[in-house]
Amino acid sequence: MRKFLAVISRDIKSGTRDWLIIYLSVAALLIALILRALIPGVSNSAMNVVFVEGTDSNLIAHVESHATVGVVSDEAALRERILRMDDVLGVLVEGEQYKIIKQGNEVMPMEETLKFVLNTYKGQSIDLPIQVAFSDIGWEISPLKLEGGSLLIIFTTVFGGMLIVLNLVEEKMSNTLSAINVSPISRTVFILGKGALGFTIPIIGSIGSVLILGFAGINYGMFIISVICIALISIIIGFSIGVVNNEPISAIASMKMVFLPVLASIFGAMFLADKWHFILYWSPFYWAYDSIHAILLNEATWQQVLVNCGIIIGLTGLVFLALRKRIAHGLR
Amino acid sequence: MITVKNLYHSYTNDQAYAVKGISFEISKGEVFGFLGPSGAGKSTTQGILTGLLPLQKGDVEVAGYDMHHRKRDMFNKIGVSFEQSNVYNKLSAIENLEFYKKLFDVNTVDPMKLLELVGLDKVAHKKAGTFSKGMKHRLTFVRSMLNNPELWFLDEPTTGLDPAIARQIIEIVKQKKAEGTTVFLTTHNMNIADELCDRVAFIIDGDIKLIDSPRNLKLQFGEKLVVVDHIVNDQKIQDKFSLINKEDLDKLNTIIQTGRIEMMHTKEATLEEIFIKVTGRGLE
Repeated sequence: MRKFLAVISRDIKSGTRDWLIIYLSVAALLIALILRALIPGVSNSAMNVVFVEGTDSNLIAHVESHATVGVVSDEAALRERILRMDDVLGVLVEGEQYKIIKQGNEVMPMEETLKFVLNTYKGQSIDLPIQVAFSDIGWEISPLKLEGGSLLIIFTTVFGGMLIVLNLVEEKMSNTLSAINVSPISRTVFILGKGALGFTIPIIGSIGSVLILGFAGINYGMFIISVICIALISIIIGFSIGVVNNEPISAIASMKMVFLPVLASIFGAMFLADKWHFILYWSPFYWAYDSIHAILLNEATWQQVLVNCGIIIGLTGLVFLALRKRIAHGLR
Repeated sequence: MITVKNLYHSYTNDQAYAVKGISFEISKGEVFGFLGPSGAGKSTTQGILTGLLPLQKGDVEVAGYDMHHRKRDMFNKIGVSFEQSNVYNKLSAIENLEFYKKLFDVNTVDPMKLLELVGLDKVAHKKAGTFSKGMKHRLTFVRSMLNNPELWFLDEPTTGLDPAIARQIIEIVKQKKAEGTTVFLTTHNMNIADELCDRVAFIIDGDIKLIDSPRNLKLQFGEKLVVVDHIVNDQKIQDKFSLINKEDLDKLNTIIQTGRIEMMHTKEATLEEIFIKVTGRGLE
């Protein structure tokens, strides 16, 4: 354990003195923040309404069936809420009248839609300048948030693989692997120590990302197990690239090749019809996307997660068998 | 401490051997010099003895461990100093040593004391990446002393160092020798081998040509000469006389009795001269 921790602590110490490693460690969180900033714009397709406490609960329930509804303490809080970045309309009830308060830069149809919803509560119909119809297309959250989040979480594991690549390249560049090979640390402990950051950084990065993106209600058990399984494949690829490269630029360039199967699997899963998904079954990243997507939607079951993890581990095992000699040779 | 029997090694896994059936033994407390030119098989042999290269053919026992079934804990007894310095550039000198210190299961030496030993204590907290080649080499050298090794492999320990630092390293090796450490010294510097080694092996083309002590080699292969600087007709002349050849001995006697001698000293053959005589090859 002492030797294992020594390897991890060395890598952390060395990593904190390398800007590229620092960037890779926080890249997922930075991307999540950028995505988070973009989400309100995309959420414009959904209607958000705020009421003041004490408003007729039947009215709130009626609006809630068409929009996302929030309740604040008083009018000042309502005005403050409306002024934030996202599009929110405020409703004040004054006698028999409804007063809609808006910031002024909202998407036009939202105000009209809200008027329509409020009038239907009173059993009145109004002539709208646009056609309004309500249907449920199944989106509970913004597609950017869901798909961007899934993609980001899978890429977080690739970043973990890149960290391993850079740490191994450092060992290769300075020929310190020879010194390690004549010290009493077993190769297994050394590999586990080197691989530990490849698990830790993706776990921290992906949990941070889901919190930033507002997926706090997911099943974290399923989520962490899935991230660990996906990280396995990135780590093995990271080792195989790291041990044969003597300088970081060529190593990162090689690691970028991994982006191709990752992106192909995820976009394939997003855009291909279900009947064509079988052509992606070879890719562990497809199964990873399948799990993460369902977990973020809170639709995943343990059975689905465990079966997908089993498939990922199986495919990773095959990749490991193919790369085993290359890794062992490179570590000598 | 080391037993090698019929050791062969091929990098291409065929009959093109870099080391061809060599055998030797090194006793506990002995300083053994492995001498030869570049490409002779020195580093290959050391690589096998330290486990960096696989043992393909032959039998090797190092510090009581059979290298066919070597175990990691053997490295608690062994120290290896590499010819090319290999340190973590992003870590400071002291961080480098403290990292390796944690990998041992035996008592280790205080890293700061080791740095003091080679004059690196004042830069202990500086990143090794900012060090000169000589400083990195000294750091690599003292790292191999962390576990106070019973068996110490030194690969060209003074190559590329300025004479003062090289002298410092030699004195440290002498001190460890006095403490009973067994040393396997790989070098092509015959002067250092002559000064430090109890026995030397001459290796060339993967084959050991001979093994003996420097003294025995000088007695066996060196011609005993006397060099005399004397004055003849107001001119300074230097002559060499063999102590074996009778004619030379007579001439020397004449000069001693009648001549004006300024300086006179015996001259031994150097290990380098003996190496060339035995192998027919130089060391570079």
